[in-house]
Amino acid sequence: MNLYLFQALNGIGLGMIYFLISVGLTIIFGLLNFVNFAHGAFYLLGAYLSYTAVVVTGNYWVALIIAPIMIALIAWVCERTLIKRVYHLPHTYQILVTLGVALIIQELCVSIWGPIGKHISPPDSLKGVFQLGDFFYPQYRLFVIGFAAVVAILVWLLLDKTKFGALVRAGSEDAETVSLLGTHTHRLFSITFALGVGLAGLAGVLAAPIRGIHPFVGPEILGIAFVVVVIGGMGSFTGALVGGLLVGLVQSLMTTIWPQGASLMIYGAMAFVILLRPYGLFGRA
Amino acid sequence: MNSKTSIFRGITLIALVLIVLMPFILPSVTLATEILIFALAALACNLLLGYTGLLSFGQGIFFGGGAYSASLVMIHFNFGLISALLISILVGAALAFIVGSLSIRRTGIYFVMLTLAFTQMAYFLAYTFSDWTGGDNGLLDVPRPALNILGITVSDLKSSESFYAFVAIVFFVVFVFARRVIHSPFGTTLVAIRENENRSSAVGFSTNHFKLVAFVISGSITGLAGALYAMLLNFAPLSNIDLVMSENILIMTIIGGTSSLLGSLLGAGAIVLLGDVLSSIWPRWMMILGVALIAVVLFLPGGLWGGVTSLFNKLISNKKNKEESSTEVSK
Repeated sequence: MNLYLFQALNGIGLGMIYFLISVGLTIIFGLLNFVNFAHGAFYLLGAYLSYTAVVVTGNYWVALIIAPIMIALIAWVCERTLIKRVYHLPHTYQILVTLGVALIIQELCVSIWGPIGKHISPPDSLKGVFQLGDFFYPQYRLFVIGFAAVVAILVWLLLDKTKFGALVRAGSEDAETVSLLGTHTHRLFSITFALGVGLAGLAGVLAAPIRGIHPFVGPEILGIAFVVVVIGGMGSFTGALVGGLLVGLVQSLMTTIWPQGASLMIYGAMAFVILLRPYGLFGRA
Repeated sequence: MNSKTSIFRGITLIALVLIVLMPFILPSVTLATEILIFALAALACNLLLGYTGLLSFGQGIFFGGGAYSASLVMIHFNFGLISALLISILVGAALAFIVGSLSIRRTGIYFVMLTLAFTQMAYFLAYTFSDWTGGDNGLLDVPRPALNILGITVSDLKSSESFYAFVAIVFFVVFVFARRVIHSPFGTTLVAIRENENRSSAVGFSTNHFKLVAFVISGSITGLAGALYAMLLNFAPLSNIDLVMSENILIMTIIGGTSSLLGSLLGAGAIVLLGDVLSSIWPRWMMILGVALIAVVLFLPGGLWGGVTSLFNKLISNKKNKEESSTEVSK
């Protein structure tokens, strides 16, 4: 029984990380109406930057703050110089440009940090285990769940309660009208892109002490983010949350039952949802 | 119509000349064979992307599926060359039918994401069932059977030259077949769907049906390419079915240009050559692919073939200015 509780908590932690990745993808898609194929690569870069930050400063907390901000800045520059040039082109071209960005980031990471994976340890204060009766759970993993939940609430507040969020939601419906009503949509686009990608970077930082950093993990992460948004419904905050948790739990619980097939089952779950609900659980037609 | 058929001859003739010249120009015959095999895969991808407007990240599924199925029937059931290739075509078609019928339930970006997710699924399937596929190690000792027609051994295909000749014939047949498909009423309907799916549907075409058939044709050609690749290497690695394979096929197609099937040959040639030359000097050469991809989108949307034709058009229009005859070489 404890094993299943352990795996369920693992699944929730993993699911929260998947949520952070997918919610960025979803927000960007909603407003900018294009899929960022470099999302997985930015996750990877976030993890590597946190590794360097930990090596340089020796402090995980500094890395946790600096790395996502740097990712957001890089994404902002990327949007200002490159991505904005392809907004008027068909989807296909936008996908290809971000695919190009993904390849460049991945190969840069390998050039800088080498082809062999890296590992960072959790901060000293969270190295222990949490104990409840005869049940033990690593503190860092609990921290990830809590921290990601706080970020999720902040993102929700940002989208739902602030003027910025209102603009993003309005822009998702009709960016042109928002622009006509006097909003500087170019700036809105860059900030949203930076925010969404920054969340992927944050996910990379949070996951690094648990899963390690592997240079070719970008496409896998991208694939999982796609599964999450296909299951949850694209453009939906709730969809990203429920989809992320569902995928995380399926993957984690399957690890106990059928370890080799754990990754396979995620995609099985996706195919199943597509058959029953082509627009995802929370998607609109 | 007359001009179309004459251009049709022109394109096919250029393809034929290139196929014949390639082994003499290129540093090795094996390299030329690899180019033709990837040109097959890129051509199949082009049928979807260029002519139907479907951006599929699922081509690796069919490539890998073709490679595994042909290898398995040759290893376990002693299938001959032709029958193994037929199996790979069937398996490619069947996989494309499954992936296609699920993916085309959605359009646009969702379609693209679904094909990518299915590629990951296929990868993990191959990885999980390592008893059959060899998992990470790949499927070793894939034979390359002799070419028998009606019981007569035409060639044992042991030399790389004879295998090149065989692949070249296969490529040419598929090329001519694909051109036929494109210029048939079926092909023009695909283009109509690419240009405006709603209108094609309103006019009365069952667009999903057409898209699915295009998928199946593309899958069967890609499966065939996968099988030939396994025979070339005597080995079916897991990377055949990887997402990276799907990406590479897509990149070849786009860098070559999607306005003509010949673009696929150019694209495959450029990428395979680039990889061959650079990978030994600089292992991170894939970075150049990323830059090239962005550059093509920003500056050369027609790809290499688009660049070649516009150059060609300029030369011709300079020459034929006085004759005032229109010279369209775009298709």
